[in-house]
This record gives sequence, C-alpha cells and structure tokens, in this order.
Amino acid sequence: MENKTPLSPHIQIYKWHISSLVSISHRITGIINIIAITFICLLASALIFGESNYEFINLFLSSFLGKFIMLGITWSFSFQILSEIRHLIMDFGYGFELKTTKITGLIVIFGSIVLTISFYLIGKNFF
Amino acid sequence: MVQINLPKNSQVQKGKYFKDKTGSKNLRKINVYRWDPSTGENPRIDTYEVDMDNCPSKVLDILNKIKNEIDPTVAYRRSCAHGVCGSCAMNMGGKNGLACTTPHAEISGDIDIYPLPHLRVKKDLIGDLDGLYRQYQSIEPWLKSNSKSDKTEIIQSKKDRKKLDGAYECIMCACCSTSCPSYWWNGDKYLGPAVLLQAYRWIVDSRDDERESRLKKVADELKLYRCHTILNCTSACPKGLNPAKAIAEIKKMLATVNL
Repeated sequence: MENKTPLSPHIQIYKWHISSLVSISHRITGIINIIAITFICLLASALIFGESNYEFINLFLSSFLGKFIMLGITWSFSFQILSEIRHLIMDFGYGFELKTTKITGLIVIFGSIVLTISFYLIGKNFF
Repeated sequence: MVQINLPKNSQVQKGKYFKDKTGSKNLRKINVYRWDPSTGENPRIDTYEVDMDNCPSKVLDILNKIKNEIDPTVAYRRSCAHGVCGSCAMNMGGKNGLACTTPHAEISGDIDIYPLPHLRVKKDLIGDLDGLYRQYQSIEPWLKSNSKSDKTEIIQSKKDRKKLDGAYECIMCACCSTSCPSYWWNGDKYLGPAVLLQAYRWIVDSRDDERESRLKKVADELKLYRCHTILNCTSACPKGLNPAKAIAEIKKMLATVNL
C-alpha cells in the first residue's frame, strides 16, 4: 500500500521567493568557490615551474573564455560574501521579518552584480 | 536525500475537463490535483470552469462550489472556514496556505490547487500528516513542572508571557513544514519549522522546568540544524508567525547557554 500512494508534487510546483533563491544560490556559489580557489591555487603553483607557464596562463586569462571565467568567479565570490553577511546577521536573530528578508535578499542579488562590475572597472584602472 | 523528480507512480497526468454549464461570462479555470486510491492510476489534474459571479471570495468557496455543483467526488479537508482549525491547508497558486483565508483574487491566471507538497497523498487534496504528528509528539508538547502544588496556579509575569506571543498561536496546519525544501529532503529526520516552533514555545515558557533537557533534545545536526534559513516557512504561515526566527532563537540559545 505504501508504495502505491503517490508523493504530492513539491519543487515542481512551489513558487520561488527571493529568500529561497538567495539560499540556493548561496550553496551553488559556495561549491563554485571551492572549485575556483583550487583552480587559482593550481595556476599559482604552475608559475613555480617557469616562464613558459606564465606566458600560457597570461594568454589564457586574457582570452575571452579566461576573462569570462574570472568575471564569473568574481561574481560568485561577491555573492557569497554578501550572502554570508546576511546569514551572520540572521545568526544574531535579526532580519527575519518578511519585508526585511526581501530587502536584504535583493541587496545581495544586486549588490553582487555591482561589486562584480566595480571589481572589473578597478582592474581596468577606471577609478 | 534530495530527489528532484517525482517517483513514477506520482507523475501528474492530464485529467478531465469540466465545461461550464451555467452560461456565465465571468469564468475562471481551476486546476485541481486528483488521485483516487481505489484505481491504480496516476494522479491527474482536473480542470473546472467555475462561475465567479456567484462565488464568495476565498479559495475554499471555489472548492465548495465545485463539490456542491460540479463534481461531488473531490476530496479535501475543511472544517471551521475561519483560519482557526488548520484543516484546509493546501498549495494554491504555488504557495501553501489555508484555503479558507486565501482570497482567490490574489492569485493571477488559472488557479492551481495541489495538496501540501511532498506528502503521501491519501486522496485528492488530502496529504498524510502522520509523520509530522509523530515528530510533534517527540518534542513532548506539554507542561513539565516540578511544582508540587496542584491547587494553585503557576504565576507568570507579563514579560514572560509576552515571550509566548508569536508561538502559541500556531494551529499546526503544516503549511510551513511542507513548504520547506529541507523538510522535503530530510522530513524523516529534520523536525521542520512547525514542530521546532512548538519546541521553542515550550523552551521559552517560564513555567516549564525542563528547559535544559528540551534544548538538549533538539540540539542535533539533523533535527535542528537542517534549517538553512530558506524562509519559505515564514512566507507560507497563514497566521503570520515566524518559525524561521524561532529556529534561529533556539540556535542562539544553544550557542550561548552552557548545557
């Protein structure tokens, strides 16, 4: 009998809220960041083995794909940091009102984009 | 474990279409999840055209109208129709709530009505809440006092009484627990927002003498810390309570109190 009763639909039908979106993105960016840090460490340690490596890495990072990856990593780090601050505030027991969670969630989403752009511009010596 | 897809026997199929017979111009399509345990078939979505000119304002009114006038085989729980009993908790327009307090005007487009998410379905819109009630029992939701006298009341200050506001109003409708993705994936071990809010209600009660053992009981990687502040619970609560904050308060107590 137990196997015959169906399971009611869940993630397929549940509406996304800003808070749930930020929460799942926090996890995804967390995983990306672990991979990214490993990747950056590998690049850095490759430098030990000579100039040709440096040239190769330099070429890679200035290619479109390299730039895209680095920008993506920048966004992922920005998002993670802002979201982590949000979580820290919540750990102190603040910011649980529905309206506040919406506002802080939006700050995390748009703040991460603003941070990414400003990091890019800083890299370009824009300021 | 996380399982995004529904099992094979739970996949929803297209069902019957009930065309309007009243000739009304103000029609609305209502999609209702149906499953009949007496047949071996998969669940299906039946669509009803409902005359909105002669329908009161809440989603429960639509369901009553369907049951009374169109299709008497629809099964759903309901009792008080005032948002007090918590029977008619279901998923409407992608959000959990009480059908009797959710205005259908707040939902745009066709109205999708499902049972509470990630439950074993008993019939149509009725989900099996046994697991949740067992978890509720496990936190021992009653007063445990060392007070010897059973003839006098246990005095509580106004300040202490105030701590229970926002916790005692819970009607255990399970809207919050069944909205929580963490509870979907780990519902057998994680207590879920509804039960944790009740745990909190007894932990902060000044008349209760078992505070420490209550705290120790919930201090568990799976029972409590599966809450990742997704906050679906708070946005789902039809009584405007804040289970997420209660869970955060329990976590805070565990971090600061020396057990």
